[in-house]
Amino acid sequence: MKKSLRSWLWSVPLEQEVDEELAFHRQMRARERHDAGTDPRVRDTLITIGRKRDREMRLTQWIEDFHKDVGVALRQIRRAPGFTLIAVVTLALGIGANSAIFAVADAVLLKPLPFNDPDRLVMVWEGRTEVERIPANPLNFADWRARNRSFTALAGIVGSGATMTGSDGLPERVAAHAVTTEFFEVLAVRPLAGRTFQAADNHRDADVVVLAEGYWRRRFGADPAVVGRTVPLNNRPFTVIGIVPAHVQLDLPATGTPGAVDLWTVFRIDPDRTLAQRRSHFVQVVGRLKPRVAMDAARADLAAIATDLGREFPGTNAGHGVTIASLHDAIIGSDVRTTTLLVFSVVGVILVICCANVAHLLLSRLSRRSRELAVRSAMGAGRERVIRQLITEMLVLGAGGGLGGLAIGLIILRIAPTVVPSGLIPATIMLAFDSRVAAFCAATACAAAFVCGLFPAWGATSRSPLMAIRNEARTATPAEHTHRRWLVAGEVAAAVILLCGAGLLVRTAMALGNVDAGHGARSALTMVVGAPFNPAGPYGRETSRGQFYEAVEREVESVPGVASVAFGTTLPLGGHWYQQSFEVVGAAPRREADRPAAVYQLVSPSYFEVLEIPVLQGRPFTASDRDGAPQVCVVDEAFVRRFISGRAPIGTRLNVRALAQLPADVEREIVGVVRQVKEQAEETADVPHIYVPLSQNPWWSATLVVRPTGGDPAALAPAVRAAIGRIDKAWVPTLVRTLDDAGRAATSRPRFRAVLVATCAGLSLLLALIGVFGVLAYGVDQRTREFGIRLALGAERREVLRLVLASAGRMIAAGAIAGLMVSALLARTIDTFLFQVEPLDAVTFTVVPALVALAGALAATLPALRAARVDPVVAFRQD
Amino acid sequence: VADKTPNDLLHGSLDALILKTLAGGPRHGYAIARFIEQGFGDVVVVEEGSLYPALYRMERRGWLEAEWGESDLGRRVKVYRLTRQGRAQLAAETTAWRQFAAGVSKILLAQ
Repeated sequence: MKKSLRSWLWSVPLEQEVDEELAFHRQMRARERHDAGTDPRVRDTLITIGRKRDREMRLTQWIEDFHKDVGVALRQIRRAPGFTLIAVVTLALGIGANSAIFAVADAVLLKPLPFNDPDRLVMVWEGRTEVERIPANPLNFADWRARNRSFTALAGIVGSGATMTGSDGLPERVAAHAVTTEFFEVLAVRPLAGRTFQAADNHRDADVVVLAEGYWRRRFGADPAVVGRTVPLNNRPFTVIGIVPAHVQLDLPATGTPGAVDLWTVFRIDPDRTLAQRRSHFVQVVGRLKPRVAMDAARADLAAIATDLGREFPGTNAGHGVTIASLHDAIIGSDVRTTTLLVFSVVGVILVICCANVAHLLLSRLSRRSRELAVRSAMGAGRERVIRQLITEMLVLGAGGGLGGLAIGLIILRIAPTVVPSGLIPATIMLAFDSRVAAFCAATACAAAFVCGLFPAWGATSRSPLMAIRNEARTATPAEHTHRRWLVAGEVAAAVILLCGAGLLVRTAMALGNVDAGHGARSALTMVVGAPFNPAGPYGRETSRGQFYEAVEREVESVPGVASVAFGTTLPLGGHWYQQSFEVVGAAPRREADRPAAVYQLVSPSYFEVLEIPVLQGRPFTASDRDGAPQVCVVDEAFVRRFISGRAPIGTRLNVRALAQLPADVEREIVGVVRQVKEQAEETADVPHIYVPLSQNPWWSATLVVRPTGGDPAALAPAVRAAIGRIDKAWVPTLVRTLDDAGRAATSRPRFRAVLVATCAGLSLLLALIGVFGVLAYGVDQRTREFGIRLALGAERREVLRLVLASAGRMIAAGAIAGLMVSALLARTIDTFLFQVEPLDAVTFTVVPALVALAGALAATLPALRAARVDPVVAFRQD
Repeated sequence: VADKTPNDLLHGSLDALILKTLAGGPRHGYAIARFIEQGFGDVVVVEEGSLYPALYRMERRGWLEAEWGESDLGRRVKVYRLTRQGRAQLAAETTAWRQFAAGVSKILLAQ
């Protein structure tokens, strides 16, 4: 059989090939005396052409081989449909989960924010030593804006709801931000239609509004003619001046209204405000740094301004500095960042386990094919060539897994928004299954295929062909079997790590679910009732708002099925609301800037009774604690502990800042002390509260609590809405939910994390057990003859059973111990997610090994029984 | 008037002649040269500077295949053979030559 020149050309250097050929030619010429002369340039010409030829041939050869390999791979796959299906599905699961989480991680951690030059965008807060990020005061913001030299633009944002009245006359609550006119300039937004705000809008009489693309499509059917039209917003005519693209969303954690914004109005700062105006802090500030101004320079610039302001207005500004951070860091809170990383590492572990299982399958499959591989080697295929063939087979499987993974990833991302707690992923972040995710998916598939394939391929080709061909019994080498046991132990370890993480998070979620929020009431319907914010409108005066709340209470009480009704600003576990500053009358006087603050709750007289918050001292509010009567308040236990020492709380007087456009202090007498309630489930230190009668400070919105006489509180919703509508249609109830739902929403993130990690851990345990089962079953299969001999020589079946179980036990114990050790090291990294659970939680670290042992025993039983039932006669006959 | 020999005209049709030569069976480079020279009754010389670059180029194009074989004297030599592509190329060159030669003869040799 002649060797093809191709393989020869690669082993003979090109220079030698040319020289030999020319030398022969010249000798022949000389011998036959045909003196034709020689050309010294021929050699170089031939080498040049030859080099090109070889390069092309190598490529052609490679492609040809690849074609051949893929052909063989496809034949192998057709021959083993079961193996193929399991391998592809396993890979698809691992790759799919990873691709979906990559899409999130990419959007949250890697991609820049969807604005022009996003690196120059920052957020600015006021800061004191104890609190670093306080929203700015509007006048302080105005001074920063006027005096700074570091920003091309600085804008203020105030989160608020608004009421849009439809053409049918029905009001609708929309998510609105009031922003200073520089807002869109800071973000460098080009509108889809019309224009954005400009400085002149600060002085216009007519009000103007910019719509978000999403709202424009939803509410106005993407009608471009809406620009220039007048819409009734908060019962006033507003002119729509423009529409901005969907990516323009600044979801600020502290604006109180998480989620996408529907529209923007102008936030005007009255230039001639009184000193009292420097008291309230509610403006979020974003800015765009000038080119070539570093963040540190901007920080120093603003700090100097803040120091000046402290000198100019010592009462309110002394000791106030500034805090500045990149917009990306401000929007993507540490909670999102760490949750993403947690989930990414969890699905990464799943992928590793998936790969290990596929490697197993492949090992078993290859030991069945060892003869075929040996024949290939004997036919002259080098080891590299056989490994290449096997890796190609894996790549074909990997391609299947990658495609499946793409589909699974798409499905996960499609479902995700309904499962992920709202507000966890900021609205600025847009999740997309884009080319980056597809590239990640492809890379993961290749890597997984390579990892799965290389190790078994190396093992399968390391035996000499002769041995393999002679070896009729298809036995694995001892080394091969050890590899497989290590692989399984590793899988068990990975599963144990995930189980420990899941255990800690589940225990946290359970602890949070059992948190005593401080109120006894369970079954109640709640909703937020808000009036269109319009100081010049019918509810501009406090008394009219107070009358409205009282009328609603009366009307809802008369609804059939309603037992009792109350108003409060927020609910226990409802998250922080306004904090107001105060001072204890008679205590050492403090500068205004240094005054303490407490959660300020406006409640109706029945609030404590309806929510079953025990009154520990004094009395709750009564109907006579109203406008015009003596100003009173109720405080809670934490307030008494922290601020009133050495005297009776009842009768103590406080100067409390009222909630108003022009906030002023009101002197109130403490008439009662109530039990502590929690604002957030994971709160570790009690937060002091001041409760004030709603009728003595009626604000623009309040939460209505309705307890039913029995049955499902949610069923009352339509009747309660109707009752409110009978008082005034302009007040639109929002956030309608039961008290239980509100409590659950407060713990949705920890529960989400627990469920997610527990699901993954369960999956990983299942995969690891499949691995254990596979190795044992295979081992028993291989040792049938040995067991037969043992039994024939008089060994008891019990001993054979013990033999198999012990081998399983060693494998699982090694994995479990390693997993527990790694878990103990890693537990601290999820410390921030834990609540009332130690990182080295005894329960978790006992239950997990027990669970793994139990599950392992289950997986080992079947192969062990099979080993014990071996019939010696049949075992011998097998060969 | 400068001398014009058949050698000067050979150059343009060398590829076609090599293909035709190999259509009769595999040959090494020197054998190809000799076959062509004898065909012309030794009035031309196929120079190595023309022959080998042509062979290498045609091999690169896939018209020829080369392999190591043995010469009649037992020496290791590179032997060229026609590929299927080369056969097709030979047919194309032959047709083109027939048309070209007919035209040239008709005009040049007109009485």
